[in-house]
Amino acid sequence: MSRLGPRFVLVCMLSVSVSAQGGNLGIFATSGDVGSPANAGSTQFDAATNQYRITGSGANIWAKQDQFQFVWRELTGDFIATATLRFLGEGNEHRKAGIMVRQSLATDATYADVVIHGSGMPGLQWRSRQGEDTNTFDLPIDGPGTFALKMVRTGVKTYLYVGREGAAPKEIVHTEVAMTGPVLVGLFVCAHDAARSETVIFSDVSVEARPAAMARPQ
Amino acid sequence: MRQLLLAWMVVASISAQTGPFGAFTAANDIGAPPLKGSAQFDPATRQYRVTGTGADIWAKADQFHYLWREMSGNFSVIATTEFLTDGNPHRKASIMLRKTLDADAAFLHLAIHGDGMPSVQFRSTKADTTNTLDFPIEGPGTFTLKLVREGATVTVFVAKGRASLRELGHTTNQLGSPVLVGLGVASHSTEALNTVLFSNVSVNQLPAPAATR
Repeated sequence: MSRLGPRFVLVCMLSVSVSAQGGNLGIFATSGDVGSPANAGSTQFDAATNQYRITGSGANIWAKQDQFQFVWRELTGDFIATATLRFLGEGNEHRKAGIMVRQSLATDATYADVVIHGSGMPGLQWRSRQGEDTNTFDLPIDGPGTFALKMVRTGVKTYLYVGREGAAPKEIVHTEVAMTGPVLVGLFVCAHDAARSETVIFSDVSVEARPAAMARPQ
Repeated sequence: MRQLLLAWMVVASISAQTGPFGAFTAANDIGAPPLKGSAQFDPATRQYRVTGTGADIWAKADQFHYLWREMSGNFSVIATTEFLTDGNPHRKASIMLRKTLDADAAFLHLAIHGDGMPSVQFRSTKADTTNTLDFPIEGPGTFTLKLVREGATVTVFVAKGRASLRELGHTTNQLGSPVLVGLGVASHSTEALNTVLFSNVSVNQLPAPAATR
């Protein structure tokens, strides 16, 4: 590292902050388990395929307490995040994977996510304030498969877009979740079973920060 | 006089379908809006003309007109809504489940806004803030709304115009039983009245769920 000098490090940091690629977690800065699940999770980024292989355990992301594997970056303001995901193997029909925006790494933190369950049920879930119960809106199920997800955050509004089996993500619904200052944006996997671990492959992953001025009027 | 009152009460309670409020038992302004709302049932057309006013159904307290009955267990409600007055794009017509008549009561409703935006909104516990799920807007028009409650699950369906009902999805609630079930109208303004015509209204008790899944 010292042989490369500070300019090389600076270039790397710039490329991480403005686009994909970069360190060993791709466009994200850090990975870890939230809520201390008994089985440790892991995140691997394959620079050749641009895919993330995320393994997560944990009882659930629900009620007043979450347990899952998370890979994230920090950002402030509005953004658009995309990911295409598929579950490997079998597990609890309510195992979860998707895109999450989270106020902090606390197990009961304020958050919103666009989620695909193992059964193929898409949903929009959120905890309005730290320590409160989770809210959910679940969509009709077309069955398991490969899902393209998009989360758009504009002020407090958080939009869910979904497409299944190659279809472009379509706007389904949005909710409102207030967060302050920098937030954590990333990918998550939860086994919905503290004794199990589930692996999900994410591709076409992007996070684009947007100036607040681009907010959609409503 | 007392006998007459008693007789009227008995009739009202045993044949709500033919009472002054059709399938419902009473109509009230919730949250004391400065203007007065009203509800009329036309037995010939079986339509309900509900006029509501009030700031909104939102945040920690509501102002609107509510036509309601009490129910327990599982049920489904269908209503076709038509806004008869112009006004704020976020004036609302809804099928509402509500714990009490308090302005800050826990509730969940399937609403259509004046601009045609369908929403599912809820206050999980008394005096809490309101959550919202807003769906893409197809533009103003006549909408048929359907809400089905089974246990803690509420499933919602919407159709614009003559289209078939489409399931939007489901959420969960802890309103329990008994709960007030009815039609709500808000003008999203304390200075305006909003009149909505509800037709093809049906309220059906559903059997208790079979064994747990």
